Amino acid sequence: MANTGWDEFEIGAMLRSFDGKIDDIAGTLQEDRAYSQNNSFVASVADWRIEKPVFNKDFCIDCQFCWIYCPDISIISRDKKMIGVDMDHCKGCGICVEVCPTNPKSLLMFPEHADEEAELAKWPEKDEEKK
Amino acid sequence: MAFDKMELRDIEVWDGNFAAAQALRQCQIDVVAAYPITPSTPIVEGYAKFLADNYVEGEFVMVESEHAAMSGCIGAAAAGGRVATATSSQGFALMCETLYQASGMRLPIVLNVVNRALAAPLNVNGDHSDMYLGRDSGWIQFDAYCPQDAYDLNFIAFKVAEDHEVRLPAMVHQDGFMTSHTAQGVHTLTDDQGYGFVGDFKPMNDMLDFEHPVTHGVQTEEDWHFEHKARQHNDLMTKVIPKIEQAFADFEKLSGRKYNLVEKYDVDDADVVVVCMGTSVETAREVAGEMRAKGIKAGVLGIRVIRPFPFMQIAEALKGVKAIATLDRSSPNGAAGMLFNEIAGCLFNTDTKALLSGYVYGLGGRDLTKAHLVDLYNELQANVDAGKVTTPLQQFIGVRGPKLSFL
Amino acid sequence: MSEMKKIKNLKEFSTSADRFEGANLLCPGCAHSIIVREVLNATNDDLVLSASTGCLEVCTAVYPYTSWDASWIHIGFENGSTAVAGAEAMYNALKKKGRLKQPERNPKFISFAGDGASYDIGFQWISGCFERGHNIMHVVLDNEVYANTGGQRSSSTPIGGSNTTTPAGTHSYGEKQNKKDMMAIMAAHGGPYVAQVSPNKWKDMVKKIQHGFSVDGPVFINAASQCCTEWKFDPKDTMHLADLSTDTLAWPLYEIIDGKELNITYRPKNVIPVEEYLAAQGRFKHLFKDEYKYLIKEWQERVDSNWAYLNRREEARV
Repeated sequence: MANTGWDEFEIGAMLRSFDGKIDDIAGTLQEDRAYSQNNSFVASVADWRIEKPVFNKDFCIDCQFCWIYCPDISIISRDKKMIGVDMDHCKGCGICVEVCPTNPKSLLMFPEHADEEAELAKWPEKDEEKK
Repeated sequence: MAFDKMELRDIEVWDGNFAAAQALRQCQIDVVAAYPITPSTPIVEGYAKFLADNYVEGEFVMVESEHAAMSGCIGAAAAGGRVATATSSQGFALMCETLYQASGMRLPIVLNVVNRALAAPLNVNGDHSDMYLGRDSGWIQFDAYCPQDAYDLNFIAFKVAEDHEVRLPAMVHQDGFMTSHTAQGVHTLTDDQGYGFVGDFKPMNDMLDFEHPVTHGVQTEEDWHFEHKARQHNDLMTKVIPKIEQAFADFEKLSGRKYNLVEKYDVDDADVVVVCMGTSVETAREVAGEMRAKGIKAGVLGIRVIRPFPFMQIAEALKGVKAIATLDRSSPNGAAGMLFNEIAGCLFNTDTKALLSGYVYGLGGRDLTKAHLVDLYNELQANVDAGKVTTPLQQFIGVRGPKLSFL
Repeated sequence: MSEMKKIKNLKEFSTSADRFEGANLLCPGCAHSIIVREVLNATNDDLVLSASTGCLEVCTAVYPYTSWDASWIHIGFENGSTAVAGAEAMYNALKKKGRLKQPERNPKFISFAGDGASYDIGFQWISGCFERGHNIMHVVLDNEVYANTGGQRSSSTPIGGSNTTTPAGTHSYGEKQNKKDMMAIMAAHGGPYVAQVSPNKWKDMVKKIQHGFSVDGPVFINAASQCCTEWKFDPKDTMHLADLSTDTLAWPLYEIIDGKELNITYRPKNVIPVEEYLAAQGRFKHLFKDEYKYLIKEWQERVDSNWAYLNRREEARV
């Protein structure tokens, strides 16, 4: 859209969330929605991150604390299971790690350039001092 | 629940406010959000009473300020329906922020502005200060000269504003008290004729269409803002005038009453012409007729549509005129006057070398008398005879104290 | 009335399909969007939303992007409540006239605004909407500061905070005025439901939002929105700050029904000294200097006295 001229916009600077008609938004998961090019869902803030969360499903108990407290709709939960992090929308705030109750944590922050497989391979052990 | 229709006589004796209220009833406004202010209050009181008596079916939201009135109108219009309100003066000034938002969001609200002076000092009477305040706000502005016009122009305003190729809000102006509170004979439309002329509201980008969610009122910074403002200006400059002309033509077919972008009274063969707005047009017409009897070829040009300004039509209307007076009913506060400047702009690059002089009059409801206009036409004729402007370019009419003139 | 969404537990809640999207421009760690998600996910009904000028608004509808999957409008700083009230009036008009495109739907009308847009500049508009009884919900995202313009004090800013217009300095401890009691003011309007919430207590939040949706008339929700940027804490600690606010009782959770009946909805098992809440935020750092430590004591006294007052109100059922 960057080069669109004045005559090519919708009047009133109006934006549509979706292309075409959508019947039941609250009943339609993100992957089934026809997002318009103007929905921020199609944009990325990945370059905001200095650190990134890495998810280790081996320890996850699907409590959904990370889902509820993620400010960026970046914890992907489906069928009551946490399945991963949306790295286009995660800003790297680290809340998910802080609220994760497992021991060891199922989410940890690493530098943005860290190798995920390598970090998973050397995941911390259970901290015996913590209950 | 259905509403009741009202039987009207062919000619009713209505003041401008009631005429506007009746037009709102016949257009079957869905939402009116309003706040009282003299002299416009009876318009929305009228709507409220029609609602109480089941002559309209809609929602009347009596809010806590004019700013909230226009805010409620914007929310209602964005939701998708026919919306109107009324205000004057300080209330109009308080609305100003939201006027730009309504037009920028392209919401076809109709605002009846019963023109009144702006404080300080406080004054409840008619002048055009509020009307002038709105002229860069991106609204269409129609000007009524009498209760009949106030009635008719409301229908035309809805018809034009709601057109999907336009989608811009419109003001219908009438002079405070002189029109709003002066009862005159008003030729009516039947309810079916009136509603039939504006037709059913056709929603566009409506928030209540849950299958097509829409975001209104975004932020656009330096990389987008200019294009959106340019689009709005373009549509005002190119799309609105033809739609107004079409609406005027359709309305003439319906009612026999013909409106024009600029109203010419004895202008075509005139040497001297007064350009003015509001009730002054009618006074000037009467004096022009009397001047003609005295051998001065006098005419009157009334501005019917203030925005978009009928630049080309005015240049064409004034092309044979030798001396022109512009009458501004708002203190220019340090400039020559809106009409003076606009008319000068229309004529500057044309072959018309008319002598142009400006007059400031009628502030705070001060009467413009026939005697004032006789003097004025004589001054214009003197200019014609001398081949130059013999007076200062800006003169005040009807103010007490030493003669006040500038430029 | 549509059926209320069933949310038994967090697992069930997590099946919600969000109607607020990522890649908005809110700061990392901002509580605003956590609150917005909890509010919107509390219902499956259609939504008509507004936002008053502020962080939420400028970060979620910056052309050419919108982060909203429901109809949304922004007009100005002061009038988001009235924008939604106007839309609600139109809904009622079109319903009466049989002109709704989807007449079977039961939309919820929600206005989001910051504390500046609610306690200060938008106060009159909110008061008008509540007095008139529109069927709307006004949600304050209360971060106790004009965060969007860079940290100026509002009438929600608590005593002792250092803000850009009430900075702490060699001769000042910062903000001098006590936080305005918006809950009491809004309850005094006599609306059916007024409630204070915090995003860490999601279940309390959802319950209150759903109650708000179930009543007829205007609902006021005051949500604590922990602001890492202006309160000066690490973005990862947003929920920690929220826990401190509710467990020190600096931000008590309660509701007022019909302007009268007050219920405390969360009683911390272990009440934490308010000092810990203050110590966790850079905006109160200067209070820990010797000359200002009396203010921390006063803070605790204020919190205690307010808690006692709420308890007395609850007990008296008035």
